[in-house]
Amino acid sequence: MHLKYESFVREPLINGNKTYAQVTEDICRPIEQKPTRLWYMGFIFSLLLLGFGAFSVTWEVYWGIGTWGINRTVGWGWDITNFVWWVGIGHAGTLISAILLLFRQGWRTGVNRAAEAMTIFAVMCAGQFPIFHMGRVWNAFYVLPLPNTRGALWPNFNSALLWDVFAISTYFTVSLLFWYSGLVPDFATIRDRAKTKLRKKLYGVASFGWTGTAKNWQRFEALSLVLAGLSTPLVLSVHTIVSFDFATSVIPGWHATIFPPYFVAGAVFSGFAMVNTLLVLVRKIFRLEDYITIGHIEAMNKVIVLTGSIVGVAYLTELFMAWYSQVVYEQEAFKWRVLGPYWWSYWAMMACNVVSPQFFWFKKLRRNIVFTFLLSIVVNIGMWFERFVIIVTSLYRDYLPSSWTYYSPTWTEMGFYIGTFGLFFTCFFLFAKYFPVVAIAEIKFTLKTSGDNYKREMQALDEKTVEEFIHVAEHAH
Amino acid sequence: MITDRFEVPSRLRTTGIVLLLIGVLALVGGFATLLPGAEHDQARFWTVLLQNSVFFLFVSAASIFIQAAAGLAQGGWIVAYRRVPEAIGANVWVFGLIALIVLFSIVFGLGEHNPIYHWVHPHGDKVLEGKSSFLNKGMFAGFSIVTVGLWSWFGIKFRSMSLAQDRAPRNSTKIYWKMVAMSGAFLFVYALSMMSTTPWYWIMSIDAHWYSTLFSWYVFASSFVSGMALILLWTVYLKNRGNLEFVTKEHMHDLGKFMFAFSIFWTYLWFAQFMLIWYANIPEETTYFKIRMQGPYAFFFWANLILNFVLPILILMARPSKRNYFTIVFMAMTIIFGHWIDFYVMTMPGPLQQHWHLDWYELGIVCGFIGIMILTVSKTLAKADLVPVNNPFLKETLIHIS
Repeated sequence: MHLKYESFVREPLINGNKTYAQVTEDICRPIEQKPTRLWYMGFIFSLLLLGFGAFSVTWEVYWGIGTWGINRTVGWGWDITNFVWWVGIGHAGTLISAILLLFRQGWRTGVNRAAEAMTIFAVMCAGQFPIFHMGRVWNAFYVLPLPNTRGALWPNFNSALLWDVFAISTYFTVSLLFWYSGLVPDFATIRDRAKTKLRKKLYGVASFGWTGTAKNWQRFEALSLVLAGLSTPLVLSVHTIVSFDFATSVIPGWHATIFPPYFVAGAVFSGFAMVNTLLVLVRKIFRLEDYITIGHIEAMNKVIVLTGSIVGVAYLTELFMAWYSQVVYEQEAFKWRVLGPYWWSYWAMMACNVVSPQFFWFKKLRRNIVFTFLLSIVVNIGMWFERFVIIVTSLYRDYLPSSWTYYSPTWTEMGFYIGTFGLFFTCFFLFAKYFPVVAIAEIKFTLKTSGDNYKREMQALDEKTVEEFIHVAEHAH
Repeated sequence: MITDRFEVPSRLRTTGIVLLLIGVLALVGGFATLLPGAEHDQARFWTVLLQNSVFFLFVSAASIFIQAAAGLAQGGWIVAYRRVPEAIGANVWVFGLIALIVLFSIVFGLGEHNPIYHWVHPHGDKVLEGKSSFLNKGMFAGFSIVTVGLWSWFGIKFRSMSLAQDRAPRNSTKIYWKMVAMSGAFLFVYALSMMSTTPWYWIMSIDAHWYSTLFSWYVFASSFVSGMALILLWTVYLKNRGNLEFVTKEHMHDLGKFMFAFSIFWTYLWFAQFMLIWYANIPEETTYFKIRMQGPYAFFFWANLILNFVLPILILMARPSKRNYFTIVFMAMTIIFGHWIDFYVMTMPGPLQQHWHLDWYELGIVCGFIGIMILTVSKTLAKADLVPVNNPFLKETLIHIS
């Protein structure tokens, strides 16, 4: 057998002297107990938000899109801002599950399950916005290239908006498959421990008759690798195509070649911030501090400072190029963006996205739970402003000064946005109650290399010289 | 104590010297025949030097970036052969110096009508005059010196810190954490040079009217993937010499994955830049691709995509090909050559228009640069033990499975 060893420089990923049995016990416990009062309060509150959202949307569908604040000049407002914001948040899950799997990052196992769930719920929220933005929502299926009885009426394949339909739906499908396939062995674990008939039945169906044979695991590993391979280009493609919604146009402020990679970096940035927001709470409420350690949070904060700085370079590049282009329209667009009546949104974006993550250069702050939690919210506020800035401040000063306008949302738009929070948290509360929030099987893969008790035993290996170590490695069994 | 010393074989040294001599001969030939010739001959003389010096500098500097990135991400995979990127990084100053000489000669030495950087003398061009607070000799010189200076310093510093770690007490992490901090600092420097200003000044300003916000990231991707390929070539060479016995197919597989993934990443950026400009169809922007895609450079334009995208995706996709020494060496050479062509397509059309050449001068100069690379890096490699015996990740890398 292969020698289990990892460097002493790496901190343990699993604390508390865990055994395999204890891992199962810790993660299954919240599922097998009755939900706490706190859970009920949170769940009901989420349902109320969702209900208000449903009411706002119904109002909009009944009276028409005129109940929103958007107008002829600013045709995209909160709706598309929120769409891009939610899609962006939905990036971290797939990045963690796919790209970090390919990069063999052991710390992903502590956070991937919750991050993937978050991805799926965020994409569900995102999808609502373009659909209801259509106004006559009963015609929404027109975006699908279905053979139809409407004569030559087909979607425009040259349109980036149509590419987005395919991008988002593919992304959602693959993310869902990835998430679910990882859940199968864990569902089987819960099934095997189930004390009630109904629970045994339901988790039995969900686990597809998993028995944990070597063949099962072999198929499972092969599938994970294939899905990781498929998801990796998807992580890049989804937000790339979202950026095409803007960048393929000839609108100053939208038409920039840097948009695709910069959108992807921004999406990962906001996604990791949302993961941190949720996991800081989840680890506390479900007492999972041994599995989602400060080390995990620090690793995510490092990704946040990296992607935040990439986004910062992109903002400055855009601003510089607007001047450098010597194109008067570009220059004016950015002047109105930075110094116009919406100046506050630009500076809020800069402060939240570029300045605030720089605090994470300091180790003390990266490992501070309260600070992490606050900053993760600041980042997501900033990323919301980024999309608002891109959309509204590129549109509100049109080519014709007679079309210049100012845009504010109405209660229906805001209600819609609040409603998606309701949807997101309703789903997340259900997930946290009925699903294992940490991947049980995957944690067990890393336990013997990264568990604190196993790492203590490795100290003997650390003391050895290289020759002695090679000798041990060659004779390990 | 494990020791693994590399002595520069006389054959390698001879090859390096011969290549360098070919380069010098080409330079002298160019000096004698091209420089006194017609305007586009002069432009050819300088543009070829510009293309090569900047290309070799960027590709070497990628080694510093790779060390910094692996350092921050706690990458254990690279430790088995990290003396290779260290040696390449420590010689960045050589290519930096050459690039500075070439760039400064072009900017300061070519009189009233600059054949390469039109912005040096705008001659009433309103757009270039508008840009002059950025595109001017002083700023150009300042940014160039600071960039080359910082890169060279970090390259040398990273290697010397890594060598100091060898002599430190066993499992001491003092230097290790210092290197992590330095890696962060380097990333900051690199983001403000390679990821933004440096390619704007040195390459994008050749087509002085044209602009693309993505440009520097695109150049970075090109340099990064070539940098990985370069590390691979040196590692396999050392392995063939009987050094680096701990480096196995597992480690080569990693480098193969990086070459594969970042070839795709380069293509992604290539496509993003091209497609958005093509789709929007704004004349000020499409002019850049017009001459490259439909004009006299069409052959190179498509060769660029075939070498850097089609071949890597088809050949490096399968697992066995990333674990086969022949395939990865072949692909590493293809990628380096492919991105040299990429730099050719970036630099030549502006100054030379339809008068492009790929002849004795172009090939001779590139031989010279390869010669310098061989001589300097091999000499550095021979100076110290090839196994970083005291690196805290060394034991991990010994049992590494890709």
